[in-house]
Amino acid sequence: MAGGIVEKPTSGAPVRPKVNYLNETKGLKNWLVTLDHKRIALMYLAAVSVALLLGGFWALVLRTELLGPQDTILSNQWYNRAFTLHGAVMVFLFIIPGIPASLGNFILPMQLGAKDLALPRINLLSWYLYVIGLIFFLGILFLGGLDTGWTLYPPYSSGRPVELNLIFAYTGVFILGFSSILTGLNFIATMHKLRPKGMTMYKMPLFLWALYATSLIQVLATPVVGLTLGLSLIEHVFKIGIFLPQYGGDPVLYQHFFWFYSHPAVYIMVLPAMGVQSELIATFSRKHVFGYKAIAWSSIAIAAIGFIVWGHHMFVSGQSPAAGIIFSFLTYWVAIPSAIKVFNWVATLYKGAIDFKAPMIYALAFMYLFGIGGLTGLFLASVVNNVHLHDTYFVIAHFHMVMVGSVLTAFLGGIHYWWPKMTGKMYNETLARIAAVMVFIGFNVTFMPQFVAGTRGMPRRYANYLDEFTIFHQVSTIGAYILGAAVVLQAFYLVYSLFKGKQAPPNPWGSASLEWQATSPPDFHNFTEKPIVMGAYDFENWEFVSEEAGYVLKKEVIETGKSLATVH
Amino acid sequence: MMSDLSLGSLSGLPLAEAGGSFWFPPESSSIAAGSDFVYDLILWLCIIFFVLICGATLYFMVKYRKRPGHKEEVTSTHNTRLELAWSVIPLLLLMVVFGVSTYWYVQFITPPNEDVHQVDVEAKRWNWTFKYRDKELLGPDKQYTVVGELLLIKDRNYQIVMTAPDNDVIHSFFVPAFRVKQDCVPGRYNKLWFRPTEASPPEGFNMFCTEYCGDDHSKMLARVHVYETEAEWAAAVQEKGNIGRITDLVERGKVIYDQNCKSCHSVDGSRLIGPSWKGLWGKKEEMEDGSTFTVDKDYVRESVLVPNKHIVKGYPDQMTAFVSWGDQEDAYFEGIYAYMESLKD
Repeated sequence: MAGGIVEKPTSGAPVRPKVNYLNETKGLKNWLVTLDHKRIALMYLAAVSVALLLGGFWALVLRTELLGPQDTILSNQWYNRAFTLHGAVMVFLFIIPGIPASLGNFILPMQLGAKDLALPRINLLSWYLYVIGLIFFLGILFLGGLDTGWTLYPPYSSGRPVELNLIFAYTGVFILGFSSILTGLNFIATMHKLRPKGMTMYKMPLFLWALYATSLIQVLATPVVGLTLGLSLIEHVFKIGIFLPQYGGDPVLYQHFFWFYSHPAVYIMVLPAMGVQSELIATFSRKHVFGYKAIAWSSIAIAAIGFIVWGHHMFVSGQSPAAGIIFSFLTYWVAIPSAIKVFNWVATLYKGAIDFKAPMIYALAFMYLFGIGGLTGLFLASVVNNVHLHDTYFVIAHFHMVMVGSVLTAFLGGIHYWWPKMTGKMYNETLARIAAVMVFIGFNVTFMPQFVAGTRGMPRRYANYLDEFTIFHQVSTIGAYILGAAVVLQAFYLVYSLFKGKQAPPNPWGSASLEWQATSPPDFHNFTEKPIVMGAYDFENWEFVSEEAGYVLKKEVIETGKSLATVH
Repeated sequence: MMSDLSLGSLSGLPLAEAGGSFWFPPESSSIAAGSDFVYDLILWLCIIFFVLICGATLYFMVKYRKRPGHKEEVTSTHNTRLELAWSVIPLLLLMVVFGVSTYWYVQFITPPNEDVHQVDVEAKRWNWTFKYRDKELLGPDKQYTVVGELLLIKDRNYQIVMTAPDNDVIHSFFVPAFRVKQDCVPGRYNKLWFRPTEASPPEGFNMFCTEYCGDDHSKMLARVHVYETEAEWAAAVQEKGNIGRITDLVERGKVIYDQNCKSCHSVDGSRLIGPSWKGLWGKKEEMEDGSTFTVDKDYVRESVLVPNKHIVKGYPDQMTAFVSWGDQEDAYFEGIYAYMESLKD
């Protein structure tokens, strides 16, 4: 019998369950029509990894171009295409779906103790929609690129002569939006309807609260960007004045619509990352997370306030100054729930036993990078500073510290954390730690100089620049290469582990959430035995057994079926 | 006084612009000191919080690292007072920051009631056109147009009124030394006021376009010259605004071309956005509507003033009209004709 929670240690190393979700059925066709959330999650992981590598490639290309103030490897036209593709691919194809659709898809039902998502067919549909969106963007590449910037601002975008690439971009984002909405809908339905008996909302791991908040935004905000780009498409093809001034439209209206989605979208990106962060910090300091309810509700607060701050992207657009002041005020409020999370994570470390495994290195890097990313937002929330800093490298550095420094870091931390569960294999811990440190150093070297360059007035989206900014760009490019090297290293040892890695135990880290009661990799139905529902951070229920090379539930917990943890 | 908070002396790096510090370009306008004060205030607040957060994290990382003989302790999982404190105190601090920032922003958006001089700015792909009028210094009913150079007088209040042509795209007016920025949106007039408080160095201050506008976005630069005296300013405007000062017509045409035309029209036969000028003069061109025109004075004049009337076959309708040359129009056209003629095969 495939090992469940009651399997006793027999001999030496952990044993791979003979039948698991990976080999339950075989052949490409069975994967392509699968309704299993775990398989769909892996398919998502493969697809978003392609997007990450593609977006990363363009990042390295444009950083290389910026090694010198004049043209180095690209013409202006190609530089503009490079940053457009970098931005569009990273935002729409990697960061927005990245954590929820891959890690979330896999982990959400398991952390609940459910067999699957509530709507498995919708889940598969959302993957196919994602892939269709991805194909549209690959199509743009083959058609010779697009130079509108990922924001697709009119009149520069829709005002041009009809261009197939641009039609592809509008259509691609529109379709990706549906993929995102369906995933969000599915997650909300699952968390409401498939929680087993005993799994209350407040028993859910914080990752799930974060996904819940994310899903709310996905469902409520994404339709707006879909409609906006739909209108742009109509305007572009039929020359109807919606946003185009020469036909009586208003380009600033587009910016309102666009940011009404795209600002909440940054919380679609960062909330799941914060969810992963809560899991990592608690697990690797072996401490019950501090301020559970505060962290849970701050996710909801961020989602709510995040809807009413979009105007801070438009302080110099010609929006009324009164609106600017109100948006500035609200933006300062949204800083508080994020700060609360950070303080709670620091407090969780207190009196813990901090284990510097690779996922924890990412979590600690997150703390530092998100600290910088979040705090530098305070400058941009001040209208008078924003007037100076808007559209400079300061903004680039700020949002990369959040989007990349935090989201990508949490994504990588999460991948390493759940890798043993997803694949049943352990990766090389030493290489993983080296890569994690490289990522941390790479981020800092890349983005710290950009804060200074931006304050000094270096505008963004510049293919050429004045000589006085050269040193900042060169240092930044070196940092980008370090990051690139780290990603190559990760790809190497993760793929290597699939073939040669040690068999993973069911619970290598001593985590307390339910997915770790399943085998590694899990059974097709997730759990071979009904998992014992307990608090997600009651680590005292688990003890390390060296023959198992991992943690097992304590006997008394298995016998009574009840958590040892007392209410703190 | 306000820059007392500044971290300027940390720098081993070259200064930002002549007269700048580690972080900032020179503080050369009425709003710059206030803007930098808010920046420094937030910077110090950030440093304090960052040191607290990272300091605590590092301390815990060392003190509570997993090692033989060390075991985690169960501690309370929440503390209402502590949690309230770290929510409310930062919020109060942020409200102070908001207040100070908004105070300076209100200064920034409120021009003085009188004695404000207007400069009109037109942003086009990819150059800046500035229009100057001044009854006393330049004479009544006189308007001078200068491309690529913003000319100002120290300690004068300026209202910059900016726009972009309807069929152009959004640009943004940014002078780092003044800490001012405003988008130039086609189809509307956006305004911005400031008072230069320092004369510029001889090479002028930097000015950038900061809203992405296509191929030559990063070349859409201008220089800002701030003069000590009215006389210097008037002389500069009259000189730079008088294209007729260049008496060699071909050379005059070349200057006009470099300032206005070269991002879209090559002179070496290569294809940019519009037709190359090499060998264009005297050539028969077929239009989108099927008609043909010989490129002569009439056609060139129409193309400059009403560019979308006849579009050369195979090229986009993208050129914006150049209509702000005022009483210098003939001098401009003389130069353009002569220069184009000189590029005949």
